[in-house]
Amino acid sequence: MGNLGLFIALGAIALVVLLLIGWTISTYNRLVRQRNQVRASWAQVDVQLVRRYDLIPNLVETVKGYAAHERSTLEAVVSARNTAMAAAGTPGGTADRAAAENVLTQALGRLFALAEAYPDLKANQNFAALQAELANTEDKISYSRQFYNSAVQTLNNSIQSFPSSLVAGLGKFEPPAYFEAAGGERGPVQVRF
Amino acid sequence: MDPRVLEIALVVGAVGLWAACYAALFLVTRPASPRPGPATQELGTESPAVASLLANRWAVTEDAVEATLLDLAARRHVELRQPAADPMQTTVHLRPEADQSGLTAYERRVLDRVGALAVGGVVPVTALTFRDDKQAKRWTKQVRVEIVAEARTKGLSQRRFGKTAVGLLVAAAGVVATVVAAAAIHYNQRVVEEDEAGLVIFAFFFTFIALSAIAGRYPGERDTLDGRVVAARWLGVRDWLRGHEEFADLPPAAATVWDRYLAYGAALGVTRVASSVLDLGMGSRRLVWSSYGGTWYRVRVRYPRFWPKYGRKAFDLITRALLSIGLGLVLVLYGTKPRQILSDAAPARWFDTFEPLARIAGIALLAYGGYKLLRAVIDLATERTITGEVLWVQVWRTARKDDDARPEPVLHYLAVDDGAGDRTTAWALPSELAFCNDGDTVTLRVRRWTRRVLTLKVNERSKRGDFTESTVDHESEDLVATTLGSTMRAVTGVLRAPDVSPATLLTAEEVGHALGMAVRMQDEVPVPGPFRMVTFHTVERNKQVLLLQLAGGRMGAWAWRSNSRGTPLPGIGDGAFANGDRATLRFGETTVVLTLLGKGKGHRQHLPWLLTQAAGRMSA
Repeated sequence: MGNLGLFIALGAIALVVLLLIGWTISTYNRLVRQRNQVRASWAQVDVQLVRRYDLIPNLVETVKGYAAHERSTLEAVVSARNTAMAAAGTPGGTADRAAAENVLTQALGRLFALAEAYPDLKANQNFAALQAELANTEDKISYSRQFYNSAVQTLNNSIQSFPSSLVAGLGKFEPPAYFEAAGGERGPVQVRF
Repeated sequence: MDPRVLEIALVVGAVGLWAACYAALFLVTRPASPRPGPATQELGTESPAVASLLANRWAVTEDAVEATLLDLAARRHVELRQPAADPMQTTVHLRPEADQSGLTAYERRVLDRVGALAVGGVVPVTALTFRDDKQAKRWTKQVRVEIVAEARTKGLSQRRFGKTAVGLLVAAAGVVATVVAAAAIHYNQRVVEEDEAGLVIFAFFFTFIALSAIAGRYPGERDTLDGRVVAARWLGVRDWLRGHEEFADLPPAAATVWDRYLAYGAALGVTRVASSVLDLGMGSRRLVWSSYGGTWYRVRVRYPRFWPKYGRKAFDLITRALLSIGLGLVLVLYGTKPRQILSDAAPARWFDTFEPLARIAGIALLAYGGYKLLRAVIDLATERTITGEVLWVQVWRTARKDDDARPEPVLHYLAVDDGAGDRTTAWALPSELAFCNDGDTVTLRVRRWTRRVLTLKVNERSKRGDFTESTVDHESEDLVATTLGSTMRAVTGVLRAPDVSPATLLTAEEVGHALGMAVRMQDEVPVPGPFRMVTFHTVERNKQVLLLQLAGGRMGAWAWRSNSRGTPLPGIGDGAFANGDRATLRFGETTVVLTLLGKGKGHRQHLPWLLTQAAGRMSA
């Protein structure tokens, strides 16, 4: 009778341990999956940002042809692009990278505002095509950022929630930073009611 | 071998072989399962509905329609608003200012449906369901074919059985029909003393038409080369969206944030919450949305099934009540009679038990009958008139006029919301009054106790009846017709009988004059299929002398091709030829063939004249 009780107790303990190991593995794998999704989402953001860097020199050259004396605006765009490209060397999702990209977005906004004062520039087909392409890229950056932030939120929830936070601590999962938009673009929610 | 076994083996073997070929073709043409491309957030140019078709192995699922609604919201043709935490409270708001010129046929159909249901430009998202099963099926089918038509136009999808495959199946059906006919001939020779041509012809055409119909049936869609490439890309998008766990929990109103991604997510089956909220299929009849009075609210409807009084005519009820009273009186007054009559035949204790029971049953029947009579009379005297919105109309009881007749509706359930509360019981509507549809505003004269409707007047028709009316352009309609109907049309074109009766083309006098003998026309034997024919017989010995055959549609064209040889006869119909004892005439889509038989064979020189007469009648 005593042996039977011992077997039952050992069996119960073994079952609990097995369940615990199973849960730990499953949670760890889920965290890995979520972290990979964050990285993949950042890669999508990065692709669009690089696309934007590629378009800017052409745009600046085109504007120079019509408004060369608007030197400060043009230099601001070039400088912001260089800063953003330099920041791209650091790991994704950092606040510095986001800040640099936001400065570039604002500088581009000023450049397009400038074009309003130059009808010839506005009528230039190359400029119109570049403007459309950049607008398209900005849209894609916006969606990519939304996906990235969504993936970050999911991972952060897992890392900070109990009991998955225990596994996250053991696996050294770090909460990634959000890629926040600047000024009027801040936040993913744009309700249009 | 037993001849019966031979006949059965011939028929079963031939039909079985054909069925095996069909099954093999079905297996070979099954849609591919493309390997997903790399996970990506890059959307393609295809609409969510077409993406859904491709991602679901070339099958249109309900996801396609739901995704289309979300896509319309993302493109600002409608707005989805969620006023509270529960996504089920989402409402759809029309945006009449949106430009609808770029919408596809099915997108416009979904938008039309929202517009038809909206009251004051608003409709709850859960009120988009249908209330009529047939209407739901028809609407869904139309949307389905429009989606398929678009996918085919882009070269992403094709009919599962192509024209060649269907042509081969129809040809094989002809062979099988011939084998079956041969078995019928064998049976005739064995069993029937005189040859019965009717059985053979019936066996041939029945088999041919049945198998051709199966061959021509719409078998679904399958992949194309381009379709597989695009499907792989969309499966990559699906993997990308699936990787974002948050996506599964987004409500429909999130379309304002996620734009078209939510629509594509729904199309690809990764939006659990949004897809569970949206339902454009058949709705529940027990919890129905009403907009009576201008605001939306839900009404619970009860449908009685076992009430003896429900839907009964007053005469029936009074008759039953009087019968109950009569039976009760008999039991009460004459309950002791059996003892007096049968006292010698049965023991006294039996009557001691029976008499009190009979008295109790009699009193119960009297009370029941009296109550029914009283309520029926009160019901008769207190008819009411109510006005409200029809929530649900459905057949409840059917009856056959005779054993062979199809069951016909006798009573309908009619749920009406008169604005008195959020619960109601359906009325029993005599089927001859069932000319209203859900959404109509009606005035009813009713009897409350039996719930029977006496008269019904439709005050205002609902727009919902227009759901299935097409708003797509003619070109799209043609495309849709082609999508599902091309092969079937080809088959029916082959089988279509000519409209002209052969008996009207030549008279017995004309044939007799041409052949130089007295003839009479045999009555036309009705034959299924694309042929019609009459024969002319000699009056004297009843021998065939001329066979007049007509063939229409595709079969007419084949008949013309195989008979347009010999000496051309210009000026008769659209073309004519004489070839020995046979002459052929083409007029429109109809081909006429005259064949001289027996004693008629010596008079081929008169065939052109007979054709001229026939052509004259056809042009008239």
